[in-house]
Amino acid sequence: MSSDVAVACRNAGKAFQLYMRRNDQLMQALFGWAKTFYREHWVLADVSFEVKKGECVGIIGRNGAGKTTLLQILCGITRPTRGSVEISGRIAPILALGAGFDGTLTGRENAIIGGAILGLKRSEIIAKLDAIADFAEIGMFFDQPMKLYSSGMVARLAFAICAHVDADILIVDEALSVGDEAFAQKCENFIADFSRRGTILVVSHGLDYLKTLCNRVIWIDAGAVREIGDPNKVIPNYIATVRKDAEDEAAA
Amino acid sequence: MTLIEPFERAWHHRELIRAVVRRELTSRFRESLLGWVWAIFAPLAMLLAYTTIFSIAAPAVAKGVSIVDYAAASFCGLILFNVFAELMARAPTLLHEHAQFIKKSIFPSETIAWTSTIRAMVYGSISFGTLLAVRLITVHSIPWTALLTPIVVIPFALLMLGTSWFLMALGAFTRDVSHLMVSIVPLLMFGTPVFFSIEQLPANFQPWVRLNLVGDFIGMLRDLVIYARLPDPLLYAACCIASYAVFLFGYRFFNEYKTVIVDVI
Repeated sequence: MSSDVAVACRNAGKAFQLYMRRNDQLMQALFGWAKTFYREHWVLADVSFEVKKGECVGIIGRNGAGKTTLLQILCGITRPTRGSVEISGRIAPILALGAGFDGTLTGRENAIIGGAILGLKRSEIIAKLDAIADFAEIGMFFDQPMKLYSSGMVARLAFAICAHVDADILIVDEALSVGDEAFAQKCENFIADFSRRGTILVVSHGLDYLKTLCNRVIWIDAGAVREIGDPNKVIPNYIATVRKDAEDEAAA
Repeated sequence: MTLIEPFERAWHHRELIRAVVRRELTSRFRESLLGWVWAIFAPLAMLLAYTTIFSIAAPAVAKGVSIVDYAAASFCGLILFNVFAELMARAPTLLHEHAQFIKKSIFPSETIAWTSTIRAMVYGSISFGTLLAVRLITVHSIPWTALLTPIVVIPFALLMLGTSWFLMALGAFTRDVSHLMVSIVPLLMFGTPVFFSIEQLPANFQPWVRLNLVGDFIGMLRDLVIYARLPDPLLYAACCIASYAVFLFGYRFFNEYKTVIVDVI
């Protein structure tokens, strides 16, 4: 992989195993060498693309097209069934904000664990705690158990942690719909600012937002790349196809 | 896979393991007034209860041993058995408990076995400290061989890690593993020399009970802490090799199914 490529996805495909009966999963684990106990469902068929360092790439597509699965593969949460994914640099995944916080612990303690998951040393995180608390704007709640937080506060803290891990690559999955208007604006500003120094991959249905943010857009359709290129070309094509499909459906 | 790969991975994630262990330890007594006093109170109460009951009942099993030693030996057995029982009962559900972490963030799931084992060992060592303190009070001395406790505890911990990995992976596929463990762990107590020692069994039974590694470790811990003697070197070597084999097998088994597990839970 050449040194200016941040993310390389080569013929990546992901099949989920569908089981008819609950215990077939165990049977597959134990006796899978002899017999297959599942049916395959390919969520991603064949996806290839490269993202250069410093690029900001949007991913669009309809519900169920495989966008989230693609992001999960890129983050290393799930491995591709075939093909490969190469990443160079530290990833900060902003996927499900607040997943994995422990309600009995304070925001501060959860931030330390959250940072450790993303690969930071304890000393590094502790040095950044003030900045995280500032960014999240949760004030004295930072030292309260997180079960007292509102959902907006949880999301704000989660975003703040991801924003402070000095990542090279930001992977965002429509996380911006959480929080109030002011915080959403703050996140958008952070991402716009980040796009000047790092690499971003963002999934969103906010097509106008993607137009202003991204220099390229990947359109995923039924598990495969339908089109890659200039947002001002790909997005109108996407909109046209969605409209046309809706009309066909209405006519049928 | 190399022989030390599991350690390399754990070292790589040491910051995370440390942070999670710290969380597990602090959150348990978080909202209680007495906090860590409970961690000491529970084993102390149990040890006192055993000593009292055995000195009243003076059971046949305690033949040839003083009541104080018998209570201490039983407690030694309970310490290791409780670590084992807690881990075995919890391991099958561990991945389900951490589903949010595993499915939604980049969380190295193999570290869960480390954190839960370390947690159980910390509580075990609190009990162990209580045992030492009570020994000081009742027999006024602790043999020097007690200093060698780590040589028994470390292979025991590897055995626990290997078994945890295996049960974690298996438990992800079917909840039955969890029900199975909850039912058989209490039964295993009868097959483990907790309230008796292996030597008290009929000779033709002994080799079978020896297969239960937990029982062997209990015997060796008693040797070091109560009877002031070194464990049989041959038995010790065999236990170390077997534990290491379980450790590597568990790690391998878990890694083999790690990718599938994310899609399953």
